[in-house]
Parts: sequence; structure tokens; C-alpha cells
Amino acid sequence: MNEGIAGKLAKQFINSKITPLLMVAALLVGIMATFMTPREEEPQIVVPMVDLFIPFPGAAPAEIEARVAKPIERTLTEIPGVDYVYSTSMPDVALVTVRYKVGEDAEKSMVKLWSTLMKNMDKMPAGVQFPLMKKVSIDDVPVLNLTFWSKSKDPFQIRKTAVEVADELKKIKNIGDVEIKGGLKRQIKIVLDKEKLLKYNVSPLQITRQVQMANSQMTSGDFKQMNQEIVVRTGTFLESASDVGNIVVGIYGATPVYLRDVASVVDGPEEVNNYNFFGWAAAAPKGSVSGEYPAVTVTVAKRKGGDASVLADKVMERVAGLRQTVIPSDITVTETRNYGATASEKVFTLLEHLLMAVVAVTIVVGFFLGWRGSLVVLASVPITFALTLLIYYLLDYSLNRVTLFALIFVTGIVVDDSIIIAENIHRHFAMKRQPKLQAAITAINEVGNPTILATFTVIAAVLPMVFVSGLMGPYMSPMPIGASLAMIFSLLVALIATPWLSFRLLKTESGHHEEYDVTKTGYYKLFNKILSPFIESPVKRWLAFGVVGLMLAGAIALVPLKAVQMKMLPFDNKNEFQVILDMPEGTSLEQTARVTKEISAYLKTIPEVSSYQYYVGTNAPINFNGLVRHYYLRQKANMADIQVNLVHKGERKAQSHDIAKRVRPGVQQIAQRYHGNAKIVEIPPGPPVMSTLVAEIYGPSQSEQIALATEVKKVFKETPGVVDVDWMVEADQKVYNLVVNKERAAFRGVSAEQIAQTLRMSLAGMDVGLIHTATDLDPVTIQVRLPQSDRTSLHDLSGIFVQSQGMGTLTTRLRAGEMIPLSELVKVEEKIQDKSIFHKDLRRVVYVTADVAGATESPVYAMLDMDKKIQKIKLPAGYSIDPLYTASPTSEDKLSMKWDGEWQITFEVFRDLGTAFAVVLVIIYLLIIGWFQSFKTPLIMMIAIPLSLVGIIPGHMLHGAFFTATSMIGMIALAGIMVRNSVLLIDFIQIRRAEGVELKQAVIESAAVRTRPIILTSGAVVIGSIVMLFDPIFQGLAISLIWGGILSTILTLVVVPIVYYMAEKKSEKPVITKKS
Amino acid sequence: MGIPIKKKLLFLPAAGLLFLAGCGNNEVKPVKSGKAEVPVAVENIVPVRTAVGSAGEEEVLLVPKSAIVSRGELTGILVVGADDRLSLRWISTGRMMHGEVVVLGGLDKGEFVVGTYNPTLNEGVTVIKSPRVTEEVQKK
Repeated sequence: MNEGIAGKLAKQFINSKITPLLMVAALLVGIMATFMTPREEEPQIVVPMVDLFIPFPGAAPAEIEARVAKPIERTLTEIPGVDYVYSTSMPDVALVTVRYKVGEDAEKSMVKLWSTLMKNMDKMPAGVQFPLMKKVSIDDVPVLNLTFWSKSKDPFQIRKTAVEVADELKKIKNIGDVEIKGGLKRQIKIVLDKEKLLKYNVSPLQITRQVQMANSQMTSGDFKQMNQEIVVRTGTFLESASDVGNIVVGIYGATPVYLRDVASVVDGPEEVNNYNFFGWAAAAPKGSVSGEYPAVTVTVAKRKGGDASVLADKVMERVAGLRQTVIPSDITVTETRNYGATASEKVFTLLEHLLMAVVAVTIVVGFFLGWRGSLVVLASVPITFALTLLIYYLLDYSLNRVTLFALIFVTGIVVDDSIIIAENIHRHFAMKRQPKLQAAITAINEVGNPTILATFTVIAAVLPMVFVSGLMGPYMSPMPIGASLAMIFSLLVALIATPWLSFRLLKTESGHHEEYDVTKTGYYKLFNKILSPFIESPVKRWLAFGVVGLMLAGAIALVPLKAVQMKMLPFDNKNEFQVILDMPEGTSLEQTARVTKEISAYLKTIPEVSSYQYYVGTNAPINFNGLVRHYYLRQKANMADIQVNLVHKGERKAQSHDIAKRVRPGVQQIAQRYHGNAKIVEIPPGPPVMSTLVAEIYGPSQSEQIALATEVKKVFKETPGVVDVDWMVEADQKVYNLVVNKERAAFRGVSAEQIAQTLRMSLAGMDVGLIHTATDLDPVTIQVRLPQSDRTSLHDLSGIFVQSQGMGTLTTRLRAGEMIPLSELVKVEEKIQDKSIFHKDLRRVVYVTADVAGATESPVYAMLDMDKKIQKIKLPAGYSIDPLYTASPTSEDKLSMKWDGEWQITFEVFRDLGTAFAVVLVIIYLLIIGWFQSFKTPLIMMIAIPLSLVGIIPGHMLHGAFFTATSMIGMIALAGIMVRNSVLLIDFIQIRRAEGVELKQAVIESAAVRTRPIILTSGAVVIGSIVMLFDPIFQGLAISLIWGGILSTILTLVVVPIVYYMAEKKSEKPVITKKS
Repeated sequence: MGIPIKKKLLFLPAAGLLFLAGCGNNEVKPVKSGKAEVPVAVENIVPVRTAVGSAGEEEVLLVPKSAIVSRGELTGILVVGADDRLSLRWISTGRMMHGEVVVLGGLDKGEFVVGTYNPTLNEGVTVIKSPRVTEEVQKK
């Protein structure tokens, strides 16, 4: 027998001293890699996304859209690699978001964007300010949140402590961004006194100018004297409130007017602009206080490539150290998010599951090969995985749920190579025909090449999944890559380590060695009984095919019958969710706070909620979902976020998704009472989207779009299972337009700019500089503003005075310095604030968004449901709309609608997986043709593939699970495994027939003899998958492998031999002659 | 295949125990607000008044100055809810008018507030509205 690669390798290593060393080294390196690879829960996805804020003060949305947003969008779409360009034209500012294709290099994308933008800045109209470019990346998501709260201290004092702690934390190595949410900053407030200003003839603008000019200090130069250089410095910075108060702002008569004469200068917290409170809820740890307390959150992000759990531990250690010194005893620091801990927990649970899978598979192998054989197999698995983990580390992968599930998934498959080799060595040892060493090498030679082929068949099945594109790609790709790597290593281990181990562990003397007669085995009797009737009677045969066909049809029918629903990914069981509250635009901060507090009071009573924290007027620390949805911009007075923390998932029965579903009606009822809209936002299991259900409405004009959106929104609300319905159209907000009477202003020597500035200063306040202190870590601003009590109504506004510039304006000859009331110069017009204009890829769009929960959990079914209703909507133009699914409308002349959101990703993933599946089938077909040199035989072998559906679909129904993307992965991988089973069967039939056995006998014998290895390998896959059933996301994969594996194996053992018999019956004689 | 079911079975009693524990926690809560079961009589509960601003413009909401709770820069007021429970509401205040404080945000017309803030009153306490208040309501 000539030696193949397998035999040569085995010969080299079977007696080498290097082999055990290699094994130990591989194990050690793998263990090291496991601890050095960063751990995280979800894989990191690089979606280069850049936000451009382009201010155009004073412009209305329509003007911004036409002059700023559109030209910029047009130029940005020219950049290669840009996937989508979104824009929002709001009053005064345009927000353009550029999203690159997944996987584009972030730095290169930024450079391209920057150069394109700069190239076109000259085309911007006058008045457009310089754009602010912000790169949004996954590393902006905080991994650790520390909430500082106190019973006795106010937000101002808590923030002060938080700032000091944040400053200390920044000193830790490898720490990313540290941010502070909530609390009030120190500020020097110059609170103007209208009466006194009038009395001393001082205008607010004058004060600003004086403060700015007084707050200066500079190095003026130096001079030489006696061989020395002496530095001259002029002026002093303002250092305290009294410094500010002592500024001379004018002269009244012959005496100076100090700032403190016309305004009160207050050093203290800024005006309330957020409410951030923390409270323990029903499931709080024992001894927790009730009630809610002012809070400030310090968020800690990690640096790119860092390990969250290591960082979190370091930070917590540092905070513990600061407890005595920086953090006073009456401020409590509570950890409200620790992704490091959750990641470690997830990773170690998965490693544990991996171990369980390996042990379970070993036991199965033990049943067939005895404990020595199973020991050989058991030893080879850790080496395979250790090497795969090393490659993960070298490829900069992290240990996350996907990379680890890839390993669990292949556990049942990687053992096969070792099983086949060990089994054959075992058989040859038992035969005792050759000396031990020679027997082992012969055994390896015999099965080596088929093993290599089998390994590549499985790799061929898994690898095409790498080509899943879009956001889901990075979620999916570690799966095929990890699995393929593990397969290759398992092959190497099977050819190098297994022979060495088998040679030493397996015993030669297994006593009873009789001439083996297949017809006496139980398997043969069984298959003879089952197969003979079908082979002999065509009626029974066709009946059997009919039954199998019916089973298959029945299984497939479960999908349209909705017994098994399709969904991209099911919800995971997390320890948190958020409530997002949107009050109508124009709601005051306090009113929003009040509604938020009421919702929190309800959430507090939910038995699984351990704590909550609400953020009004400022956004809650974001997660990856919030990052994509731009939740970090939620800083307006009408918006609030509630972060709800649940007890650990091990300590509650309900899944987080069920809890979210349960609280939704209660939360929304409270919000609706105040005309607000509350949404329950869960962490999506896969890539985040704007909303699960998104209807994009395109059309010729905004008013028509909004009219249609109103109808669509109505349909959304009426459809059961569709929840959290919202749209991106702002509520009507009252605006007072103060129109300057130009003639009068010119006559009195006042410019329009002066009026605008004065009003802005009075209402919004104006920062006029910083005080220069050495002690404060946050910059302390000096702000000029009217007291809140003086800016409550139009009446107050008109009581503000501006100072005449006199001849300085060139329009009047009146004396300068006269104080003129604003009411004399402006006319008030009441109107409604213009609505923001949204663009997606240059088209005007109005979004209607919703989520699905309850009656339907999968957006596809809700969409199909609503389609009919949307088609019935009567449009004024007389036509009806037909919602689009995959492509944007070609024209904007007519109203149209496109579905987006989770659907878009679902569509892309299933499309790509479907393509991958087709490619897999072709590759497998080619591989088998190459092996068997027949066009017909591969088709018979591939019958096993559709048969797996008989198990897969009812399996999902049995578990009440969705048919998800992971189910699809399972189905594809199963194709490879099942084909291998058929190969084993038919291979044996052909060998027997070549030996001259009659067709019927060969078919039955083959089924009898090959049942054992088939059940062994399929059983390993099934048993290895059982641990995956407990993960909500990878449940689908497990169900596919388990039920598809069991049913397909059983049916394969019966159907494939019969079909083969039928196909070969007619050409029985020629086949034999051909073979010989 | 029996393994996952067995596991689930093991899981059930554990979850059940936890659920019971959760229920236990729930029962503790009312004890805390058990003080609330014994309602506290608060003398001075007043409705939020409305007044028309001096220059004949829009309506404004007024509350007594004594009702205001100050926590640093935060301004609040104790509101008596529909279930007669007290809750602390954050408000923003404007100028004084007719000896009372104008409330700019956070309150509604017709709500009842504790007229004189008393630090011993806590959130969640049930109060008895004094007869005077009920009369006033009846007048409306």
C-alpha cells in the first residue's frame, strides 16, 4: 500500500518525542491565549459613522435643506465606501450622518470625508459656520457606569465629587473616555436687574463687552536689565465672583458703575438643566434605602482593543481607594453598568458549556469505542480548541458569544476525524494481522484520505457564510472562520496526535477474535426487516416515498401556517432595558421630569427591577443600540431616558423580553395621560437599527408625506402586536417671532444684530468667558442672563432695553447712549415652529417607527398584515400605494412607502445565507463528483439535505422557537454532515458490489455496517449541540442540528439505500463489469 | 434530548424560590409605607391657584411661598396625588405675584399641594385633606 500524506505524517510523528511536546505546547499556548484575548459579550462591529453638525444660525429648515444639507449630501455620496447618507435639517443647524460600509477603515474614512468636505466648503452660503465632525464608534459606548448618589447632597455637590473621581480615573492605563452625566456645574451667574440697568443707563451688551475685556492677561514681552531678562505681563484674569462684581461697566454721572450695582453676581450651581435621579426598586438588595436621590453618573469607556473586564476591575479598585479621601461618606457609589463583568460571565459560561459539550461527546464515543478510545478522542479536542483560540488571539478576534459558539457548534464535528482514525486503529489492533506500529500506520493510510475529504466537505458547507454582507456580517463571520479553523486543526490533530495517543493507549489484545459475519449482527437483522419489503415491492416503496414526501411537505407547510415564525434573531435575556420618553416638543423640563418620575414610580413596583435611574434633559449613558439610534443627542427638555436594571438573570424566572412586554402597557398609559410617547427599548440581539419596524414615506412635498404618515401611523396603531408606534415628526411648538421694525430701529440708532444679541443673552444666557481658578477641574463659565422670574412672558421680554448707538450706526443723528425699550422696536408674531426635514440618500423622507411584541414577535408578519391595510389608504391624488420591500422608490413624484428597519437586515442576511447555501450545494456536488466519478450518485447522496427539513421545522415548533438566522446556519452546516453520511453508505455499497455481492444484499449490508459510524458522528453533533439550547440566540442553531440531525440520519439510513437501489437496479450488471 | 428538560425542571424550583423571595420583598414594601396606612393629617393642603398676570396676559399658576422645598438649586413642592399620597415634584418658579410664587413648569391647575413644607413629611405618606380643602373643592 503506498502511503498518502496521512500515512507519511503519522509515520513521522507516531513514535517521535516531539509529538507529546507539541501537544503540551499547543495546550499551554491555547490557555494563555484564552486569558490574553479581550473578552466581550457581543462581537465588536466597526461601522464607521460620522456625524456632521453644520450650524447656519437663523435659517429655517427649508433653507438649510436646500442650501446646506442637499449640497453636502450630494458631495458625500461621491465618496467610495459610503453606504448611506442621512440628514436632518432643523432650525439653525443641519445634522448630516454618513454611514460607511461595514468594515471600512475608520481613519481612512475620516480623511476622505474631511477632504471632500473641505473641497466644497466654498460652495456654502454666507452665514454657514464651520462644521463640527464627530466620529461615532463602538468605543464610545461606556463599559462601566458609576452612579454617585446621596441622601443629603444636591446635584451640584455630587457633581463636584464625580468630577474629582473622574479626574483620578483618567490616570488609569488603557482607559478610554470618562464622561459625567447629570449634576450641575459651577457657574458665575451675572443676573441682570432690569430696573437698575435702566437707572444707571447700562445695556446688557455693554456688560458683556466689559466683562470680556476685563478678563484678559497677556505676556507683553521682556526687557533686559543687568544681564537679566525680565518678563512683563499685563492684566489679571478674573478669579472669583467678587472680581467679576468689581468690574466697572459704565459711568453714571461722575461715579463708576460697578457690575455688582446693576446685577447680582452669584457663584454657585448653574440653572437647573437636567434631572438625574437614582432609586432602588422592588428587587433591591436587602437593606437598601427607599426613595429616590439626586445622582450623577460617571461613564467609563475602554480604549480600542482593550479588555472591558480588566479595565472595570482596575476602576473599581481605584474607586474603592478614593472612598476615604475624595468621596465623602454621604455619597454612595453604585455600579449601574459593568459590561466587563457581564462579558467575563458570558465567556466563562460559554467555556463551561464548551467543556460540557466535549464531555458529553466523549461519553457517546465511550459507548462505542470503550474508555480508552474515548480518552484518545477527549485528549484531541482540547488541543484543537487551544490552537483555534490561539488563532483568534492572533487575528485580533475577541472571545465573545459568536466566536465561542463557533467552537461549541463544531465540537460534535471536530471529534469525527479523531473518531475515525482511532476507530480504525482500534479495528486493526483487534485484527492482529501486523505488528502494532505497522498496524497503526496501515489503519491511518486506509482512512486518511477519506477523512481529509470529509473535513473539506464540512468546511465547504460552513465557509461560504463568510460572505454575509452588511451589519450582520461581523456578527456572523467568526462562525464560519472559527469553525473552519477548528476543522483544519482537528484534521492535523487527528493525523499527528491521535495516532501517537492511540498507539500508546489502545490495547492490542481484545480477546474474542472471531471471523466477523455481518449477517449475524443486530443491525443487519433490523435493516433486513426494514429495507427488504421496500426493495421487493415497488408499491410499498412508493408508499414509503409518499410518506416521506408528505412529512416533508407537512414540515414546510408549518412555515406559511405560522406554526414556525421567521425572525432574524430572537431577543436575548439581558439584565437591563430602557424607557425612552418623548413629550411633545415644547414641554418644559419640569413637566417631563414629572412624567418620568411617575413612570419610574410604576417601574419600581415590578418585582424583577432592582434599581432605576432617570435622566431628564440629558441622555442616559448609551449602549451600542443607542449609538446607532443617535440617543446621545437626546438632550432636550422634552426628552427623558429611564435606565432600568433588573436582577441578575440567574435570579429571576422571567426573561427580560417578557418583563419588557409586561411593563409596556403600564408605562405607556402613564405617558399617554400627559400626551407623551414612551417606548420600551431592549438591547437588540443583533445589529441595531433605527427601529424594528420602519416605514419610510417618500413623496413630492412634506405636507403630503406627513398626511400619508398620519394614515400609516393609524394603521400601525390598529395592528395587534405592533407597539411603541411613533414618528419623526415634531409636535407643533409655539414660537414668538420678534420682527424688528427696521425704520424705527434705524431712526433710533439700534441695529438688528444688537436686538438679537440682547434677546439671546436675556433668554438663553450668554457665556462671556471663564474665571481662571486653579482648583476647579470643570471650567467655570461666566454667564450673563436675566433671572428666570424676569423671563416668563412676552411682557417681560419687552421690558428689556437696548442702547442707542447714535451716529455710530450712520442712520441717525440722535445722541448715543439713550436706552430704548425693545417693545418699541419689535413686533411680536406668533407662529408654529418649522418641522425638521429628514433626508435619506438625498430623498426627503418621513419615518414612522414601531416595534413588535406580543401578538407578533416577528416584523415580517406584522408588515404583511399591514400591507393590505396600507394599500387601502385613500390618497387625495387617487392612486393607492404599494409598500416597497427591497429598493427605494425610483421617483418622488408620487407618494410611496418602503419598509426598513430590522426587515432590511433580515432580508440581506437571508438573501446572503440563501446564496451561501446554493454555493455550498454546488461545491459539495463537485467534491462528490470528483470522488465517485459519477453525476447521478451525488444527487442521491444529496437527498439527505432536504430530509433534514423534516426535523428542523417541526423541531422549532416543538421548542416554540423562531426560525432564525442561526437556524439557517445550522441547516447549512447540516447539509455538509448529512452528505457525509450518505457518502459513507454509498461508498460501502460500491465496495461490496465491487467484491461481487448482489445489489440488494449490498444495500442492506451497507446500512447495517455503516449505521454505527453514522450514528456515532451524528450523535456527537446532536449531543454536542444540546448545551446551545439554553442560549436564546443560538437556540435555533441547536434545534436545527439536533432535530435536523436525528430525523435526517434516520431517514437517510432508509431512504438513501432504497433510492440507490432503484437507481442502480436497471443497470445492475453493467455496474459490476465497469467496476471490475 | 431528555437533558434540557431535566435541566429546566431543576431550574423551576430555583426560580420558584426566587419568585417567592421576590414576593417577600413586595410584602415588605407596604410595611414601609405602612406608616401611610395610618394617614397623617396635614393642616394646610391648598389647591394650586390660578391668577391672571398683572398686564392682563396669560394665566399663571400660584402656590404659597411656604410650600416651596429647596434642595440646593432644585426647587420642589409636595403634591397630594389622587390616591392622597404625597410625592415630591420638581418645579421651576418665576417671580412673586400677590404674595405667592408663580410656577412655570411641573404643576397643573387644580392639583393639591402641601401649603407649608414640613421636613418630617416624606414621599409616599398618605394624608387626610382637611375639611377646609374639601369645602373649597365643593365650591368649585
